[in-house]
Amino acid sequence: MSDATSTFSYQRPVGLTFGVLIVVLYVFLMAPLVMIIGASFTESLMIEFPPKGLSMQWYVEFFNRQDLVDGLLMSLRIGAITAIVTTAVAVMAAMAGQVISGRLSGWFQLGMTLPLLVPELLTAVGLLFFLYKIELGRTVIGLQMGHILMSFPYAYVSIAAALRQVPGSLEEASASLGATGWQTFRLVILPLIMPGLAMGAIFAFINSFDLYTISLLLKPLGGNTLPLALFDFLTYEFKPTAAAAATLSILLSIGGVALVQKLVGLQRAF
Amino acid sequence: MTLRNPKLWLAVPAIALIFVFMILPITNMIEMSFRTPGTTEPFGEEFTTMHYDRILGDGYYWGVLFRSLFTAGVVTLLCLVVSYPIAWHMSKAKGLKAVFLYACIASPLMTGVLVRNFGWMIVAALNGPLNDVLLGLGIIERPLRLLFTQGLVILALVHVFVPFMVLPINNALRNINPSLIEASASMGANRREVFRDIILPLSFPGIYPGMILVYVLAVAAYVTPALLGGQMVSYMPTLIIGELTGTFQWPFGSALAIVLSVSTILVVALFTALTAKLMERSKA
Repeated sequence: MSDATSTFSYQRPVGLTFGVLIVVLYVFLMAPLVMIIGASFTESLMIEFPPKGLSMQWYVEFFNRQDLVDGLLMSLRIGAITAIVTTAVAVMAAMAGQVISGRLSGWFQLGMTLPLLVPELLTAVGLLFFLYKIELGRTVIGLQMGHILMSFPYAYVSIAAALRQVPGSLEEASASLGATGWQTFRLVILPLIMPGLAMGAIFAFINSFDLYTISLLLKPLGGNTLPLALFDFLTYEFKPTAAAAATLSILLSIGGVALVQKLVGLQRAF
Repeated sequence: MTLRNPKLWLAVPAIALIFVFMILPITNMIEMSFRTPGTTEPFGEEFTTMHYDRILGDGYYWGVLFRSLFTAGVVTLLCLVVSYPIAWHMSKAKGLKAVFLYACIASPLMTGVLVRNFGWMIVAALNGPLNDVLLGLGIIERPLRLLFTQGLVILALVHVFVPFMVLPINNALRNINPSLIEASASMGANRREVFRDIILPLSFPGIYPGMILVYVLAVAAYVTPALLGGQMVSYMPTLIIGELTGTFQWPFGSALAIVLSVSTILVVALFTALTAKLMERSKA
């Protein structure tokens, strides 16, 4: 190795300063999550980190709180329906997207990810008026439609990426052996895109579970999602029960991350 | 002709979903912003420009609009400063280490904004860890009141949006051909020159979309200022939601949303024009 390249260590611009900087930045990224989890096990009546003692009492308290449990159940139900519907619609859209070529293809991709690119606030405001107009204002169906819309791009992007990996020749081979379009899809394509499809469903579910602004504006009468219930709880009671609820939500997302890693690998997914 | 391909019909449900539940409603909002205020309903029957006259003629709204646009700008720049080293570090990682780093980016990303903002309430509490660290380092003498300040709102927003910036920059850095860097180093460029002339321009295809996305989302972020900003300081999103859910002034709330959107588009257009040269260089 020549002198020029050995002094020039672009591969490892590490140095001590850079190493410290990176550690600080990752602490910044993880600190809020770690502290919520820690605070949820406290024995005291205050939300604090480090926690005092070790107890599960706030989890017990959480499951005894009807408003929070109702919120959790509603979020789980809406998330599950969102995952199923977005996945089905996204598979169809991604298959159509494959046969669109040239410049139109870029526009199609853009259109399919629009709910991700336009701020949630604008979509929520528009939907509030629109649902009122079609007499679905303040209903669970309206809220459900909002969640499906907002989560659709996540399902679409994952599934479209999985479909791109399937060689077109497989489809032709299947067709030449006499399979119908549906048979080809069910027996050839679907098994191949299953990991991507599952990942899309997970993303859609978790995104729906996390949505706040759109749920606030489309909130059905007498129903709260978990984030809405949690916001109210934080505003009026600020007890470690909130940390327990938030920890459940964090565990859900960590579980999602682990599943995605197992299904397709995080590096390919992001 | 491709239109005859029957597979294209499969796109109908998705297009219908996005058209009916997003494009149509947002277009409706423009109409709503010209409605007269309602007395029994949230909006009236007649059309007027009075809401725009009221917003543009009142220094208060200009102030809030400026604060929103400016804060989002600060958030975007801070995001870039935080994200670039992380993306750089990530782009060099392989194997298990890479998986771990991706997990550290993905876990916050997949956790709800409300939950993450709540985490900052714990961090920034008067006797919380952040004050402890600052006291321990001797930077401050007595605990700071951090909750319900603009600084905390900015910090929490940076935390929300960092993954959106890290991922595209990381992808751009991974796409840089290492032989380019070796070539310029062997021709005598020092590290600073390599970074300025090769790496930075070539990572711009990741920086640009990251910055635009973060800015657009930060301008319209509602939860963070609502939870961490306190009652004293208003941002456009908190004003808009207040008009829509508190006082039920739908036309006025719509006009505020449109003013915010148009200003955001103008800022993004200005940014694009200013950075057009950098983008050209990245393609060359």
